[in-house]
Amino acid sequence: MNSAHVGEQLSAYVDGELPPDVALEIADHLTSCAECARDYETMLTTVRLAREGLVREHAPDVLRARIRASLREETGPTVARVAPSPRRAWRIPWNVVAAALMIAVVSSGLTIVAGNRRASDSPVAQEVLASHIRSLMPEHLTDVRSNDTHNVKPWFNGRLDFSPTVPRLEEQGFPLLGGRVDYVNGRSVAVVVYGRRQHVINVFSWPAGPDGATAPSPQTKNGYNLEHWRQDGVEHWAVSDLNSAELRQFVSLLR
Amino acid sequence: MESFERTVMPLLDDAYTLARHLVHDEHDAQDVVQEVYLRAWRHYASFRGGDARPWLLTIVRNCCYTMRRSTRASRDTIEYVDEEHGVPSGGQQSADAGALADSNRAELRRALDQLAPEFREAIVLRELQDLSYKEIARVTGAPIGTVMSRLARARRQLQQALGLGAGEKS
Repeated sequence: MNSAHVGEQLSAYVDGELPPDVALEIADHLTSCAECARDYETMLTTVRLAREGLVREHAPDVLRARIRASLREETGPTVARVAPSPRRAWRIPWNVVAAALMIAVVSSGLTIVAGNRRASDSPVAQEVLASHIRSLMPEHLTDVRSNDTHNVKPWFNGRLDFSPTVPRLEEQGFPLLGGRVDYVNGRSVAVVVYGRRQHVINVFSWPAGPDGATAPSPQTKNGYNLEHWRQDGVEHWAVSDLNSAELRQFVSLLR
Repeated sequence: MESFERTVMPLLDDAYTLARHLVHDEHDAQDVVQEVYLRAWRHYASFRGGDARPWLLTIVRNCCYTMRRSTRASRDTIEYVDEEHGVPSGGQQSADAGALADSNRAELRRALDQLAPEFREAIVLRELQDLSYKEIARVTGAPIGTVMSRLARARRQLQQALGLGAGEKS
């Protein structure tokens, strides 16, 4: 060791992965061999550059959502394989929803009038946003996970008193991720979930009555972009952390 | 499920980072990681406690190589797309990397991508994931001595690619 250069071992020496006696010999050698000392400096620089320069990637929300959905699919039908998984605490009791829906249908005439003038800064916007954020938490994004319109749309049947539009926008860069039922504005609403790169877009809709179609109006809340419009008697909200231009493009495709 | 949620889900960024270095395409990497989590879930019983990271990264690595093998027929070499790797897009990468100019970072990334896969994974597991040699040996299925020499050679190659070659101090 004394006479030979230590080049091959410098890398492990830097990592502290050599046996103590070998490490000592190298340390000793470095004090007396200028060439190896220079080599050592270069090795240190390389390691430092790599450690500083390589960035940890952040897994996109869409991936997170896809994983959770596929795990849920895995646990769902074959519960026998695993310990019974704790279902989401907010899981909606459908009999209660059905009752609530009947009340909602009866009283909708009233709520439409009341809801007509709700504009940008409404509590509804706040609720919709809260639901969007909640949906990004574990296991909350979709109740039905599918990129196929023909799976998602029928899924809402029997769960809601109306059928949300679920267009395919994959070719335009907005893949369908799935759907869920959520509770907003005092009623059950349809949420259709789309993706855009790492972003998630939640589209909320519920019947609003026959009149008063409005053009999409954008707003920003807590760093999220929202679009609100009413069309064919249905109230729509789209929420995402996607930039406002692309969200607008998405909404125009959706309509 | 709760235990899986607690121990394995927080490692998603680690899994995705390794996948992005082993299969370059962003969408392929996402597909791989989704598959990884499915497998991890199915084989969770085989995880014997301790640090779940080497265990999960082993699955990531195996899935990545499976995907590379299956895509090799159609794409002989995996192309490096500068636009995808040069500038961090999400803005969510660790902030302390800010000391290094983007151009340097892109150069480093390019140099890393030029390395042979077993060298590249050694660097990623060591410098990015901060695994010990023993853990890297476990993840890659190679003896510790091999890990040691791969890292040494990988670093030499990085040095040369970055113009830090032995003898010419920067």
